[in-house]
Amino acid sequence: MASHYEAPIRRPLITGEKSFHDVTVDVARPVEGKANKAWWIVFSIALVAFLWGIGCIIYTVTTGIGVWGLNKTVNWAWDITNFVWWVGIGHAGTLISAVLLLFRQKWRMAINRSAEAMTIFAVFQAGLFPIIHMGRPWLAYWVLPIPNQFGSLWVNFNSPLLWDVFAISTYLSVSLVFWWTGLLPDFAMLRDRAVRPFQKKIYALVSFGWSGRAKDWQRFEEVSLVLAGLATPLVLSVHTIVSFDFATSIVPGWHTTIFPPYFVAGAIFSGFAMVNTLLIIMRKVCNLEDYITVQHIELMNIVIMLTGSIVGVAYITELFIAWYSGVEYEQFAFLNRATGPYWWAYWCMMSFNVFSPQFMWFKKLRTSIMFSFFISIVVNIGMWFERFVIIVTSLHRDYLPSSWTMFSPTFVDIGIFIGTIGFFFVLFLLYSRTFPVIAQAEVKTILKSSGERYKRIRENGDSLSGTGADVRTSHIKITEEKAITPKSTEDTSKQLEELLKGIGTFDASSETVDDLKVISGVGPKMEEVLNGIGIFTYLQVSKMTKREYDLLDEITGSFPGRAERDDWSGQAKTLLNN
Amino acid sequence: MKIVTKYIAVLGMLVGLVSCQNNSSRNYQYMPNMYESVGYETYQESDVFTNGVEAQLPAEGTIPRGDFMPFEIENTNDGYLFAKENLKSPLDSTQVDYDKGGPLYAIYCGICHGNKGDGKGKLVEREKILGVPRYDDVGRAITTGSIYHVLYYGKNTMGSYANQLNEQERWQVVAYVEKLKADLEK
Repeated sequence: MASHYEAPIRRPLITGEKSFHDVTVDVARPVEGKANKAWWIVFSIALVAFLWGIGCIIYTVTTGIGVWGLNKTVNWAWDITNFVWWVGIGHAGTLISAVLLLFRQKWRMAINRSAEAMTIFAVFQAGLFPIIHMGRPWLAYWVLPIPNQFGSLWVNFNSPLLWDVFAISTYLSVSLVFWWTGLLPDFAMLRDRAVRPFQKKIYALVSFGWSGRAKDWQRFEEVSLVLAGLATPLVLSVHTIVSFDFATSIVPGWHTTIFPPYFVAGAIFSGFAMVNTLLIIMRKVCNLEDYITVQHIELMNIVIMLTGSIVGVAYITELFIAWYSGVEYEQFAFLNRATGPYWWAYWCMMSFNVFSPQFMWFKKLRTSIMFSFFISIVVNIGMWFERFVIIVTSLHRDYLPSSWTMFSPTFVDIGIFIGTIGFFFVLFLLYSRTFPVIAQAEVKTILKSSGERYKRIRENGDSLSGTGADVRTSHIKITEEKAITPKSTEDTSKQLEELLKGIGTFDASSETVDDLKVISGVGPKMEEVLNGIGIFTYLQVSKMTKREYDLLDEITGSFPGRAERDDWSGQAKTLLNN
Repeated sequence: MKIVTKYIAVLGMLVGLVSCQNNSSRNYQYMPNMYESVGYETYQESDVFTNGVEAQLPAEGTIPRGDFMPFEIENTNDGYLFAKENLKSPLDSTQVDYDKGGPLYAIYCGICHGNKGDGKGKLVEREKILGVPRYDDVGRAITTGSIYHVLYYGKNTMGSYANQLNEQERWQVVAYVEKLKADLEK
């Protein structure tokens, strides 16, 4: 590892004295453990919200869209607002896993799994709205160009709503495949660790027989890269297509060419805010602070700041162009946003989206977890208002003043939105208990380059060779095999004498033999070796000091420093006292 | 063996699905949103009226707007004789059109009277009915007015054809019958 160069300016991405095994254990812990009370409480709340949402959806579909607050003028409001909001949230996941992969950002590895899960669950929620806001959702399959009995009646490919169908469904399927291929090595890890047959069966099923051979890994990397290359234009185009729903219309306030990049920036903005919200909780709940560090949060905050500023520039551009255009309708649309009956929504959006991310310029604030959490929620509220403002304020007052009206949601509008939030968290909570929430296979690839422990060793100028050893991994068992052949007694008799002088000899007539295997680091074979030397009791072990450890190492000739590192004497002392 | 059972299973499912369709009753419909008419269809049944049909008779003595006048000669022997003497075709020579009257005759009259008007229609040939006279029957000596009267009201075993043909068509048929009569008498 001496040849490895990493700029010392880079801070470690994995803190704590983590070995490969530790990564496995930390990632597997939430999956292998039992859910605590807090999880059940939160899950129940989410489930109730979800069921309430289902009730509202059933009520809408069976009774009619008229139960919503829509009217003849404002015929898109909460439905499409929520749709765009959820799609936007979903974008951060693909951005983190695909775009950051293309840019070789190592910090993505601890967060990409959860971000992608978030994408998929958010796209589920988004996907509900195009269906349930239909007047006759049972004919939704007509949007697909399927040969049929109506003389092969076809869809019109000129509508961005049809493009939405293709965009969202492609986006969901590609994200799902990308996510799942990344999960294979991690599911295989859970499969190999599973002790209960049911879990073993499930994880064997979902890991598709991943055996981690070199060829597999090589292809895995290639597939990831290709999918990342495909997913990146997808991220940009999907939200662009969503923005076309508005940008291709003739409504003043909608008909804009800035929408495609502006919506994408907004999507990344709100998506990262959501990732931040979720991960700040997850790192605490799942004890993953060593993987999702403050640095990760800081970097996400920087992305939020950047995209927030892009959104801010877009707002200013829109305002400038409205003034510059000389089109009264356009100018009125923006005047109406700022001073009309929905001024509060506009100013909420402005202050939440434009001003709140600017706090991230201050290092103190962007490295504060509490503050990031707060801002990430504020941003998501702001981004919801952005979609609401764009949709409703443009519709409720446009060309004909005789068509001007107002919009207010009914409880069903709100209930469905709450339901999707509940559904999202139901899925996310279930995910966090059954899926490896961190891509451990990926994290392990950066452990030696970006792990705190290894960075420190490297910075001290020490060699990394042998430092990957972990007392609990199979590597040790191999060295233990060696331990059963101690050097011939002639060579070591002097050291033996010295050793026994230090810790005292065992008198079989007055003392009883202790079970040395209780000491961590002593296996059955090591016990045999110790007994062969003449060490039988905790008392003897407890008297061992640095000198005796060294002597023992010389006698056994096996891995040096083992007894010292495990603090055998300390362990023996505790055993004696209890 | 396993593959065979699979094929049998798939075949069974297909047969099961197809057998759900019953040709003696209407097929299953998926979400029949606008299949049943909300408004009244012309010949539909209706519970609104006492006779159970949507089609109701107009009031006696009313005259609809349009090119329609009631036929004022009575349906009696006297009426028949009156029509035979006095009733003339309203069609002038340019309006008489055998290309229209011919097919109408073939549809409504030819089945009994024969396409040549010789009283040897299909039903007569097959002896389903008997006693259909020829148009050139001297004893009857049909005229323009008598043909129209018989067409309108029917005579003896012949029923009225006023329902099948409108006034214009009736006169076209009358003109065609006269042509057939002339052809027979040649």
